[in-house]
Amino acid sequence: MTGWGLRLWTVLKKEIRDHARDRRSLALALIYPLLGPLLVAGGLNMAGKTLQTDERNRVVDIPAVGMEYAPKLAMHLEANNIRIVPAPATPEARNTAVRDGHLPVILVVPPSAQGSEAFTLDVIANLGRVENLRATARLTGIITNFNDAIAAARAAEAGLPEDYAVPIKLHKINVARDANIAVFFYNMMPPLVIFMIFLGGVHLAIDTTVGERERGSLEPLLLAPVERWVLLLAKSGAALAFTAVTTLMNLGAFKVFMSLAVAGSDQLTQPPDWSVFATVLAISIPLMVIAVALQMSISVVTRSMKEAQIYLGLLPLVPALPGMVLVFKPILPTDLTVAVPVFGQMLLIGQLVAEQALDPRHLAIATASTLGAAALVFWFAARWFRREKMFVLG
Amino acid sequence: MIEMDGLTKRFDDVHALNGLSLSAPDGQVTGLIGPNGAGKTTAFRIVYGLLAADAGTARVDGVDVAQDRMAAQRQLGVLPDVRGLYPRLTAREHIRYFGQLHGASGAELEADIEDLIARLGMTDFADRRAKGFSRGQELKVALGRALVHRPKNLILDEPTNGLDVMSSRAVRLLIAEMKAQGHCILISSHIMSEVSALCDRLVIAADGRLVAEGTPDELRQAAGTDDLEEVFVRLLGKAGALL
Repeated sequence: MTGWGLRLWTVLKKEIRDHARDRRSLALALIYPLLGPLLVAGGLNMAGKTLQTDERNRVVDIPAVGMEYAPKLAMHLEANNIRIVPAPATPEARNTAVRDGHLPVILVVPPSAQGSEAFTLDVIANLGRVENLRATARLTGIITNFNDAIAAARAAEAGLPEDYAVPIKLHKINVARDANIAVFFYNMMPPLVIFMIFLGGVHLAIDTTVGERERGSLEPLLLAPVERWVLLLAKSGAALAFTAVTTLMNLGAFKVFMSLAVAGSDQLTQPPDWSVFATVLAISIPLMVIAVALQMSISVVTRSMKEAQIYLGLLPLVPALPGMVLVFKPILPTDLTVAVPVFGQMLLIGQLVAEQALDPRHLAIATASTLGAAALVFWFAARWFRREKMFVLG
Repeated sequence: MIEMDGLTKRFDDVHALNGLSLSAPDGQVTGLIGPNGAGKTTAFRIVYGLLAADAGTARVDGVDVAQDRMAAQRQLGVLPDVRGLYPRLTAREHIRYFGQLHGASGAELEADIEDLIARLGMTDFADRRAKGFSRGQELKVALGRALVHRPKNLILDEPTNGLDVMSSRAVRLLIAEMKAQGHCILISSHIMSEVSALCDRLVIAADGRLVAEGTPDELRQAAGTDDLEEVFVRLLGKAGALL
């Protein structure tokens, strides 16, 4: 290697060695990327545990009044793991207790139920409270089953077909809901990965540009016979190396932690394969390049490290916000949408995580568009880096 | 040889240089002295390619800095006013980094580094990281960094600024040694005794232009006093630069 290539390598090597000794750079590259995956995997694990619990075996306390008027119903409820507990005595107190969320639901059996099979039950529920939905649904489901059993018995007594009174039976087969919970968590991965891509090289970008100027080490460096663009490219290369390590850690942690989180569940969808993560890494390369180019241009334009930290702290939010919107409202990739720099990669990563096939044409458009934008941003940064005001202190 | 010819430089409304010319020949120590704001640092920065002059030329060994900055920088070793070290690199790594930036490598570079470490008295801290270095230690690293590519021309901006007696003395001995080897040395300093002892020729500047030049004896004669500090004050007073 000779000429500018050698000078580039010299500066790149120095910056990597220098920042490999820096705790802040190392924390950003090695520790921060674990936090998002831990959070997502924690949520996934909790969702898995909730689904894994068999609700039918769990004893639920249901406050009730007048159960003594319907002993058969009481027995049926008990047989289905409902434990009857006392409820407030007056109707007002009952309504208030449920409205305020002190009690999940109250069953009221009227005195007219005594000795009769046909009567009206009051179920005082507050469906405005999500946590009460499950208790209410459980109670009404058991009562409906009891009702169906009575109807079948009465039909049999009358010599009618068993399903005479209940012609249509509902049979719920829950396949989608549990799987979707895991997929929802997997969809949170792309914006978090992109957030880390825009964060990984931040400290290095600041420290090697505006940081050098503040420390006074930029002036001696510029006295060496090195092209200015080579200096900036080498520093960008070092920031890119740290960003790549951060992204690798981040994606690896997502795969490992999410696999562990669903390991105990037979209901949750497994996270995507390693091959999908490898493809996400490959698609992320143009993202890393533009992230570093943006970090470098903001760092060279700002006048102090503090100012750079403020702007660069906000930078990861810019691509991550549309990413969060995509979690809830996915947009289909088209030639036009993938041509938007950064957004194109977000769409493609979203497709990969959803285990959809990628269109190579989309991949080519997104890569060219983001790399082209990165080159423009870098060109701007390199031009700015040549300005006298960039490096002269005071 | 370092030459400045009619250097002019403006920063917005401030005229930092107004046609400053000087010539620093090989084998001599030339001192550029002047009050704060005289344009010394700006002139140096134009010579070592950090700033572009609005008018005039700066040449190092005949190479026009504006035409070929990198060729001029290869002939130049600079100790800038701001030492600026990397806190996480050792003294040796600093010198090696700058040697490599100048294209040196391998056993020859390592031998040069070892030689500089010995000459500058850096053996004790050569492999310590720069964080926490004293000003003397910082200066030695900065000098090592400036000399590693064996430049023929040296610019030393305030070389003994903030140093203790022993470190100042070491720097003065080094300058004398380099001069004896035929290097061109251009220094700026506020310390008149140092200027008097070291410099073969003095250039006094004020408001970005030349006020007087000559050997210390010639300047003493022109000002009619033996005290160099008094020479400085009188010549600047004549030029109206003290007002």
